[in-house]
Amino acid sequence: MKSDVLRRAVGIPTLCFLVLVATAGQAADDYELGPDSKRQDGVPEGKVTKHQWTSPRAFRGTERDYWVYVPKQYDGKTPACVMVFQDGGAYVDNEKSFRVPIVFDNLIHKQEMPVTVGVFINPGVIPAASENQAPRRNRSFEYDSLTPQYADFVLKEILPEVGKQLNLTDKPEERAICGISSGGICAWTVAWERPEAFRKVLSHVGSFTNIRGGHVYPALIRKTERKPIRVLLQDGSGDLDNAHGSWPLANQQMAAALEFAGYDHQFVYGDGGHNGKHGGAILPDSLRWLWKDVVEARTAQVAR
Amino acid sequence: MLAARLLALLLVLGLAVTTALAQDMRLGKLLIDGEDWELVSEGHTFSEGPAADTQGNLYFTDTFRSKIHRVKPDGTVEVFVDGSGGTNGLMFGPDGRLYGCQNKKERIVAFDSAGQESVIAEGVRSNDLVVMSSGAIYFTDPPNDQVWYISPQGEKRVVDRGMTYPNGLILSPDEGTLIVVDMKSENLFAFRVESNGDLAFKQPFWTMRTAADKSDCGADGMTVDAEGRLYVATQLGLQVMDTEGRLGGIIRKPQEAWLANVCFGGPNFDTLFVTCTNRVYKRKVNAQGVRYARPARGDSAGGG
Repeated sequence: MKSDVLRRAVGIPTLCFLVLVATAGQAADDYELGPDSKRQDGVPEGKVTKHQWTSPRAFRGTERDYWVYVPKQYDGKTPACVMVFQDGGAYVDNEKSFRVPIVFDNLIHKQEMPVTVGVFINPGVIPAASENQAPRRNRSFEYDSLTPQYADFVLKEILPEVGKQLNLTDKPEERAICGISSGGICAWTVAWERPEAFRKVLSHVGSFTNIRGGHVYPALIRKTERKPIRVLLQDGSGDLDNAHGSWPLANQQMAAALEFAGYDHQFVYGDGGHNGKHGGAILPDSLRWLWKDVVEARTAQVAR
Repeated sequence: MLAARLLALLLVLGLAVTTALAQDMRLGKLLIDGEDWELVSEGHTFSEGPAADTQGNLYFTDTFRSKIHRVKPDGTVEVFVDGSGGTNGLMFGPDGRLYGCQNKKERIVAFDSAGQESVIAEGVRSNDLVVMSSGAIYFTDPPNDQVWYISPQGEKRVVDRGMTYPNGLILSPDEGTLIVVDMKSENLFAFRVESNGDLAFKQPFWTMRTAADKSDCGADGMTVDAEGRLYVATQLGLQVMDTEGRLGGIIRKPQEAWLANVCFGGPNFDTLFVTCTNRVYKRKVNAQGVRYARPARGDSAGGG
């Protein structure tokens, strides 16, 4: 309780200070979207479709929405790369922070990322048996647990379903997974548990904290033989500090461990809070870096 | 300039609100400065089954001595039933009777206000029970790794098998989710309660913290507050879990002895009572217990 009292005591002066700083043109978390996150003339638009899924096995009884983005350039002959998003409804929304369909349209058009099918999955909910009762929200169980359960859900349920209609790659280097907050640690867990299936990870303000034991990853990374994962972590100094941990410190620990263990990684550390503003602003650059090797490999293949 | 200042202020306030929400579960909000465990009763062998009636009395069992004690609002302790047949878990039903697990006689019984017992079910082993607003009962049967259901009409049947040692159990405030402690693992299991009493979509939704040298949590009884938070009596202390399945924190035990069970009681239903081997303690907190009551049509979910 002492810290609460302290926080209250310094609250007003801190606010005034922040307002002064803000008016001087140095506001924290003032990230803005660039042209790659906006519609550009002459760029073909991919198609987004919405679907529902009731899990028969991995998270039995859960129901959820998911969306599939298919770029205009998809021809059905070449297996498309795959990128999966947790909290899919937020990432697929062209009005929110990330606007992934617009960014994909722009980058695929410029050949700065490969032809990629986006799969945007919401967390599951076990609906209530009757009205006046609350559903069981499965998000933390699915995203924060350090088990292969979510990876198996994606690999054995969602991707086979999407793959019924689309020609999708099964190469791990051509599969990426991305999420924000608990969805960020979830992305890492999927690649960590199933590197034979996923080798690209993008984490926005990832919860590498003790929600369900995720704070141990830096230690595990340091003492486990390196896995073939390419990962970009984004976080900000204004991120959360609560009972589960300090997000800024946890992400710095992750970055240091990845560096120590020799991972192919990037750590982008700003001054943002627990939101998608910074992650959204740097999404085009993040995707260019993440997919660089595949773009180069596919270009070389065409040249040959 | 004014607009910029207002915008910056809103941004900062927005961040503060987000942070406050994310910190909802910290113990600092639950515990009250200056409040500590206070001795209620001592001199028992193995205290269990705390249960509060609507008149401010607190009942608990001394399992080995086959007694049920009553603590009056003024703090005096008296014997309510002498010769309880080893009754263990207790809970008040909607009819005002005190239901109990009379394990030595392999019965589920109900005591009226004079302490006279009626038999509800026979030929069953039991440890702990929960009584719904409909009068239906769930109880655990640890020797056979089973959970039983007794319908309001008195018909009993097994509704779950396969936990390693089902022990304490409780319902969410809206009675839509049954939560069962698996004492010899590290999990609490969630089930959806179907209208006929069946249990669906079993999931190890909550993970307890365990002692460094143990793989099981040693969790025993538990209770729930109006927000749906769980208070689980474990050997590391009272573990507080949120509705998303996350551990919020651990309240220390009142003494180094087996912490068996917990319930809400007191005149404002905001005091935790714990049975800890030979002693019973209480502690006021910033939370309120739950009495199950079907919400009237149009009311919001959650009794209290």
